[in-house]
Amino acid sequence: MALKRVLTLRTVVATSAGLTLASSCFIAAAQVAHYVAGDSAWLAILVGGALCLLSAACFAELNGMYPSAAGLRLYLARAFNERLALIVSLLYMAVVTGVIGTESFVLSHALTRAIPQVPPIAWILGLFVLATALNIRGVKIAGNFQDAITYGLMASLFLLGIASFTRFGFDLATPFFPGSAEGFINAVAVGVFLYVGFEWVTPLAEEVTHIRLISRGMLVAIGILSVTYAIFTVGMGHAVPKAVLDASPAPQMEFGTRMFGVPGVYLMLAISLAASVTTFNAGLLSVSRFIYASAREAVLPHFFSRLSSRYFTPYIAIIAVFLFGVAVTVGILLTERYKVLVLMAATMEAVVYSLVGVAVVVLRCRQPEADRPYRAGRGWLVPVLSAIVFAGLALAVLVENRGAAIGLGAGFALVTGYVYAAVPYLRRRQEARRRQKRAAARPRLKAE
Amino acid sequence: MATAEELLASLEAFCEAYNRNRRLKEMNRDWDRIVSVEAPDVSTGFTLTLRNGELSLQKGKSEHPDLRVEGPSDLLTDLFYGDITPTEPYLKGTLKVFGTEDDIVRLDFISLMIWGE
Repeated sequence: MALKRVLTLRTVVATSAGLTLASSCFIAAAQVAHYVAGDSAWLAILVGGALCLLSAACFAELNGMYPSAAGLRLYLARAFNERLALIVSLLYMAVVTGVIGTESFVLSHALTRAIPQVPPIAWILGLFVLATALNIRGVKIAGNFQDAITYGLMASLFLLGIASFTRFGFDLATPFFPGSAEGFINAVAVGVFLYVGFEWVTPLAEEVTHIRLISRGMLVAIGILSVTYAIFTVGMGHAVPKAVLDASPAPQMEFGTRMFGVPGVYLMLAISLAASVTTFNAGLLSVSRFIYASAREAVLPHFFSRLSSRYFTPYIAIIAVFLFGVAVTVGILLTERYKVLVLMAATMEAVVYSLVGVAVVVLRCRQPEADRPYRAGRGWLVPVLSAIVFAGLALAVLVENRGAAIGLGAGFALVTGYVYAAVPYLRRRQEARRRQKRAAARPRLKAE
Repeated sequence: MATAEELLASLEAFCEAYNRNRRLKEMNRDWDRIVSVEAPDVSTGFTLTLRNGELSLQKGKSEHPDLRVEGPSDLLTDLFYGDITPTEPYLKGTLKVFGTEDDIVRLDFISLMIWGE
């Protein structure tokens, strides 16, 4: 039996890739180029993509077993326990909001580069207010338009990379020798950030004709993105000195200027805007819906579950994301420590991918007979490798970057304390409210 | 496990409560949807049709619904009587709701308006 409105593979691929393509990816691409020697960034990006394919296969297996918008939280709850699932989900959502902050920071610098009369803070506030207002009104990007943006973006980045080679020559410096092992591991770990969000397509499991479309869509999206990012990053590093890219809060603008002068600035601005539109929209939407659902089950305070009776959107949750996002962005603007958030997001993503690999192993042992429309490889190799490699990558980033380690450690302690202390209290209060309501309803029902 | 009759009674109670709520009917005047409610454990299904703000109930599954709600019969019965909220079983994966995210949130809102928290 088919639903009236279903999504096709084209849209699933566009959604998965569109959530991943963001202006903050240019920062990550510049960092990947910075960590390796010569023009060998493509190696780290392709390895990062191949690792994400392992994780995508694990997500696909779990998504086939539990096709629910609850996604990650449900997988972890089934494999481990409710508390761990909550801690990871809450921390993950906080990091996602941080990524939205980084995104607005990068975009504001790109906008200020093109229109210097307006300061970055004005752009940031303007962007957040616009995105929040659209979310509260329930305005969404139409499916076909989103598909066009994503495929257009991938084609533009690929062509820009090729244009750089034709302009500055194909004589690449040490394309097959990335330098030290330490630098390469860090490059791969940051390279994973380029694919952050490919798995956010799993909540669409409830809107597709067949569950295998999601797994196929994720794999195709990662494949296309790997090639696009590899060509673009090497092309960018080939045209602009790495030190310039690494020091810039909007490296893509340096690339645009070097390639085409002033028109290049506007071209890269258009690309940045297109890349940020989908990320902003999806980020605000998924975080606010997560807050709403968490409040409905008394994980967060009750008032977050308030819905607008006009637009049927969780307006308090959306405003909360707005406030948190603005606070993060202003913090970045004041400290200029935007790279820490990128590293934190890359680490968190690696932790999540590792846990998903472990979850596949645990559930295969616990429920060997359960229906699995998709399996991540026939044996144990894919989930075990995914669990080990991503745990290693997360550790590598934390050891190398004290700021990211402190940030994530503090976040973990805070969220764990909240889950153990505040959540039981909120649940007791919800139960008391329910009891009161039932007691009040009984005499009324008897009278009726 | 609940019987098909018990599930039907809970859906009738839900429809009745919905149609008594004038504000809810007004809010959903432009939201025409077909919701298929399916309980595989008792091999039964029902269709809720929302048209011009009015909710009606038919026996049997819908072939082309906008939303599909699937779960164990006892869970669905408790849910439509308002004894439990949909969020917890939904997040635990025992209740499955297939459809667009907006429609799922709207359905949750309707249950919230009828039965409260």
